[in-house]
Amino acid sequence: MTSGLGRVDMGARLGDAEVQRVYSDVEAYYGARVAKYGATPRGVDWSCQATQSLRFVQLLRICDFAAPFALNDIGCGYGALCAFLDLRYPDSRVDYLGVDLSRAMISRARRRFRRTDRRFAVGRASPRPADYSVASGVMNVNVGYSRAVWEDFIAAVLQDMRRTSRRGFSVNFMSDVVAASEAPDNSPETRLYRTSPERWIPYCENALGCSVETLENYGMREFTLLVRCRQNLAKDLPLRH
Amino acid sequence: MGAMIKDSTTLEILVQLNKRFDKDSLPEMIELQKEFAVFSSKRSLQQAFALLGIVPTDWSERRRWYKFLDHLKKYPSDLPKINGHDRVIKAFRDGLAAEKPIPISIKCHSAAEDPRVTVEKGRPVVFTIETHLIVSIPTTPGREVRKQVAEIVRKRRAAKKK
Repeated sequence: MTSGLGRVDMGARLGDAEVQRVYSDVEAYYGARVAKYGATPRGVDWSCQATQSLRFVQLLRICDFAAPFALNDIGCGYGALCAFLDLRYPDSRVDYLGVDLSRAMISRARRRFRRTDRRFAVGRASPRPADYSVASGVMNVNVGYSRAVWEDFIAAVLQDMRRTSRRGFSVNFMSDVVAASEAPDNSPETRLYRTSPERWIPYCENALGCSVETLENYGMREFTLLVRCRQNLAKDLPLRH
Repeated sequence: MGAMIKDSTTLEILVQLNKRFDKDSLPEMIELQKEFAVFSSKRSLQQAFALLGIVPTDWSERRRWYKFLDHLKKYPSDLPKINGHDRVIKAFRDGLAAEKPIPISIKCHSAAEDPRVTVEKGRPVVFTIETHLIVSIPTTPGREVRKQVAEIVRKRRAAKKK
């Protein structure tokens, strides 16, 4: 059997139709969450505002707040990061674009934030290049696919983030309680995707041409990868919508 | 608790609190305290628990829960000149900032026996071997409070008749 690791190391291989199916299921999942819990941390699967904010603290370490910059927030949900930016960095100038598969989420985000520097778009990838991109928790809930397929989906997300980020991007993952290699493929336990930094660092370095810094010791059973682009691909590559 | 919120809500909140501050979750709470000063004199207990999502799942009980937390300001504590509300904040703040933090456990005791919010170290349940910081909230069962209120009303009516 081909391991998930083998598949991704060779590059994302999901066909367009299969990718579309995964995205469609992710959209349905989060649409249901926000319908049930509203524009709250639970609506995007976080336990509370405090832990959600602690994740933002780690993800935003990729950004240089000394100068204005453009930021893409992939899987932005109802736009919680906007509120956090206003609270934590009230004087900084951030041209923010939140992107989410769920129309319901984007609709709520637009209602919450009506400013020219806070925009939102429905989609799987950002329609514009930005200095930085962040994605909080978008890879955590495997909506019923095998580990290998889910990892191909993750690789596709990372590729999109790389392509639309001039300086760098950051993502977080849940740490593996049971080693990823021991987790049986297709088991119900893999519904929550857990992994280790070693699983994705080589991919970001070799396939995406980036350097990676890992943040681990911030009290949560997860880690954040700060991925810095060695060269700016965003200006050369065509954007996918 | 007791008269102010339902028994089932009290139990639910105790479970939530004791889970969030147990040995496994302690590192997360320590980081949250370091980063955001969740428990501080600048934030009420209501705000701190809202940030942590420690709220009843029953929406109709939320307002009562928040009211109860504010009501703790009227409770005495085991420290002079510190009310029950501030004592709880101090216990969490000091506990999470300790050199060697230990799990924090919340329990209730009879207000009739001791009307103060108390904090001590010990084992909150027999099956744990870990020493916890135990924050104990004085509680009067709802049934007793209703009895007391009924008694007061009865006496007032009797006095009026005279």
